[in-house]
Amino acid sequence: MNSHEAEALDYFKKTAESMGHKFKFLFRNGLSEIPKYDAVFIRATTDPLYTAYVVSKTAWELGLKVIDDPQSIIICANKIHQYELFQRFNLPHIPTIFISKEELHHKKIEEIFESFGKPVVIKAPYTSFSKYVEKVACETSFREVAKKFFRRSDFLVVQKFMPSRFDWRVGVLNGEVLYVCKYMMPKGKWKHGVKRRGKPSFIWGRTVTLKRENAPEGLKETALKACSIIGKGLYGVDIKEINGQYLVVEVNDNPSIYRGQEDLRDMDIYEKIIRYLAE
Amino acid sequence: MLVVSNIDLRVNTPIISPLEFLKSSNKDYILNINNDYRYMKMGYYVSLHAETIGSKVIPSTENIIDAYRVPVLLVRASKAGVPTLPHLITDSVKQIMSEFRFPLVVFAVNPFSPNNFKIAHNRSALYRAVKSLSMNYKYAVCAQPLIGHIATYKAFFGKCDSNDDKVNEISKKVYETFKIPICKLHMQHANGEIYLCGLQHLTLEEISPSDISAISSHISAILGRGEFN
Repeated sequence: MNSHEAEALDYFKKTAESMGHKFKFLFRNGLSEIPKYDAVFIRATTDPLYTAYVVSKTAWELGLKVIDDPQSIIICANKIHQYELFQRFNLPHIPTIFISKEELHHKKIEEIFESFGKPVVIKAPYTSFSKYVEKVACETSFREVAKKFFRRSDFLVVQKFMPSRFDWRVGVLNGEVLYVCKYMMPKGKWKHGVKRRGKPSFIWGRTVTLKRENAPEGLKETALKACSIIGKGLYGVDIKEINGQYLVVEVNDNPSIYRGQEDLRDMDIYEKIIRYLAE
Repeated sequence: MLVVSNIDLRVNTPIISPLEFLKSSNKDYILNINNDYRYMKMGYYVSLHAETIGSKVIPSTENIIDAYRVPVLLVRASKAGVPTLPHLITDSVKQIMSEFRFPLVVFAVNPFSPNNFKIAHNRSALYRAVKSLSMNYKYAVCAQPLIGHIATYKAFFGKCDSNDDKVNEISKKVYETFKIPICKLHMQHANGEIYLCGLQHLTLEEISPSDISAISSHISAILGRGEFN
């Protein structure tokens, strides 16, 4: 956990206490205490196969208020699920297709390059924090990356490559915009977070935050529409602005909230989240 | 009702393959028959596609995810009246030992291990089990006391290959709760009682010709009755 994230968690605690609530941190060894609480706010990588989902589902079954709720985790943690919903509800998003293990052959790869051009982006359905997303420009790399991602999933996402200097990030809670920022790409890179060559660490681009009322209306409308397809929880919507059009990249549950970044222009986000949990 | 299956069934109704179904967008009642419904496997994506095009499907994605996560399986099954034993989610051997006596059964709660389990009769076996199932303490495990012995049953539409009424009752309730047509159930037999402890997928090799006949008869009965519950 980086220091900005730890500071944000402390600030959540202070805010909750100033509002008259008790706020405790629970770790993996304290999960049996969940029934003692009224609400659970998960701040860990969520995936239906991780402990975070077990926590969410247990809390939900016990009737507790929970962010992230199990259904949001199920949809947001699997990009195939998410893009199927975007297609069904005609949400403007990056041109996307799905490919199965059985379809990994020359003809299909040729078809993909023909319709999307080169390079294309391959995403594992379980991608998070810019991991398991790779750009490929030839059949050999396509096969190499796809085989790696197929180890855990029988389907993958393939998308048109649409470079931009930044992705919009819109934080949404219960159908309301919480914060708006720009996640800048590091110099010469195409993703906000890029792994250092030969090292386990990442280089992250800058975060530029706007006051939510100063953000473009079309951007906020697109973000709210995307979230309405998923649920009523807390989400971080990534959006690309291409030729004046807003295209949804993805909706993330458990969005990052770092002190001095997402909260920089709208400090009330802590209070809004605590109030939602305590309702 | 449309039957989507990766198993070569013997029923008098058209069956389509999972890949064929995933390319279609016709709304219907979908009966998804697969040996493996695990998250992100083909069986899961069939149910997911059915739901996103607005079809009713057995099993649902939510039930699939819950049934294959042992702690969630136990919480929901217990709520439905299935006998279960206490369980603990943790990555700490010390915490397990402070809560339960030996022997113990330990399941993985991580994205990489199938839902198999390890039994620990002593402290060093427990350390080995937790280290292995938690992938070197990176993920949690789910520990339960082992008060008898574990038996594994194949279950098709809630019917087990057992003559024990209690086993069949548990299998029936698990099916009514999660609607997983094909699976393996792990149960503990102790002091005349039986407790559910886990659910796992079947490999294609584990499904015998007589199992295929049994699955086919269940499907024919469902289609004959036209029921979907």
